[in-house]
Amino acid sequence: MLMWRHGRGSALPPTDEFPRLVRAEFRFPVRSLIGAVASIPLAFLAVTLVLLVGDLGIGHWTIAAIVSLGLVVSYVVAATVTRRIARRLLELERQRDAFYQEFSRLSKAASLGEIASGVAHDINNPLAVMNEEAGWLRDLLGGPGLDRESTRQEFAASVEQIGVQIKRASSVTRRLLHWARDMTRPSDVIDVNPLLTRTLYLLEGELTSADVRVVTRLDPKLPKAVGSEAEITQVLLHLMKNALDAMKGGGGTLTITTDRFDGLVRVGIADTGPGIPPELVARIFEPFFTTKPVGEGAGLGLAISAWIVQRAGGHIAVDSVPGSGATFHVTLQPAGVSAEHGGEDEGRAAVAR
Amino acid sequence: MRVVRLLLVDDEARFVETLSKRLTSRGYYVEKALSGQEALDLVTSRPFDVMLLDVRMPGMDGLETLRAVHRLQPLVKVILLSGHASINAAVEGMRLGAYDYLLKPTDLEDILAKVEAAFEKKRLEEEQQGDWRQP
Repeated sequence: MLMWRHGRGSALPPTDEFPRLVRAEFRFPVRSLIGAVASIPLAFLAVTLVLLVGDLGIGHWTIAAIVSLGLVVSYVVAATVTRRIARRLLELERQRDAFYQEFSRLSKAASLGEIASGVAHDINNPLAVMNEEAGWLRDLLGGPGLDRESTRQEFAASVEQIGVQIKRASSVTRRLLHWARDMTRPSDVIDVNPLLTRTLYLLEGELTSADVRVVTRLDPKLPKAVGSEAEITQVLLHLMKNALDAMKGGGGTLTITTDRFDGLVRVGIADTGPGIPPELVARIFEPFFTTKPVGEGAGLGLAISAWIVQRAGGHIAVDSVPGSGATFHVTLQPAGVSAEHGGEDEGRAAVAR
Repeated sequence: MRVVRLLLVDDEARFVETLSKRLTSRGYYVEKALSGQEALDLVTSRPFDVMLLDVRMPGMDGLETLRAVHRLQPLVKVILLSGHASINAAVEGMRLGAYDYLLKPTDLEDILAKVEAAFEKKRLEEEQQGDWRQP
């Protein structure tokens, strides 16, 4: 079984310290190395000076003073260089975050677009039925035999059908509005189970027409999780749509699970599609990496999803057995618990709060 | 004037039911199918002039059905119906030889105009091929 983890240990918040591109335990050696490299030319200069003044007969104290001065100067230069590099790295880091933020916004718009096309279908179909029923009533009104019993029955059936279709369409709009509220409500604690149910409900039409069966195994005692409802909804929707795309054509089973894993809140989204080839598993979270044809996705969905989940202090992992599907696991911090799991990154708790 | 033989394919039973009543009352010969497979069974057994075909259906979808239908009856004109404006599906459908594309809900007048135009085109093609047969 192939496994690729994305997240853990790389979600430190920006600090004014040496940037997170350099891990804590390496910071001192890296800094010393930069200092040492920067001192080399100055050391050369000092030695040259010593040799030069030796010939001129200047005393040892003067030489010691010059050498000390040289060391001080070299330290200052090294410190400045280090700080500059640090600042530059931090700057790059901020740019990357800004980039993702922007794309996250765009991908939210894109996921709304995807939802819109599915929802349009689920509303247009009842509208089409109503349209025909209304048309049929008009036909009957314009035709002969209006007082016949059979015509009365036709009338009743059409009116009844219009009522049925109105209910059907309004249930779709209600679902959409509920979902849209989730997408816009600012929140930092989420109830994952109902969120999954609502998102699944929204995809119902598409799932049915793609011959995809849904199996859910949700842990009823699942604690709430840390994260923005809008963002996590976006991630889960994206993973479900991916699963659906993976099963397009042949149908299959979409299995949604939630459980507590290692003290964390875990969501599993499994498809029975072709799976991910081993050589691609490690790359699917890379930005701009996509296996879809040109024009059907920029390859940012999973990269943004991973970024969103990491920012909430969680991580995304994928298991795939080629030939029998893929399972994505999104793991989130439970709410109301100080996040002390995986002590390797001191920043997670700070982000989670 | 020959009666236009229509095949109406949609998984929305009530839509098929009512639209077929309305078309029948306007003098068309209408057969109904609730899935791609049902449609193929009908197409195998008798000739049609124009087919109104839903794009999104469980099982065999509209585009798949379109492909199979054209293998059986290359001259039949297929008008795709869809509940959502998916440019991709429309382009793909036209590429596969669909005659036209309509977005649901559609006015009957628009359906009739397209059906008549499609039928006219089919008739001309048949005349050119010299295989004009009375039903």
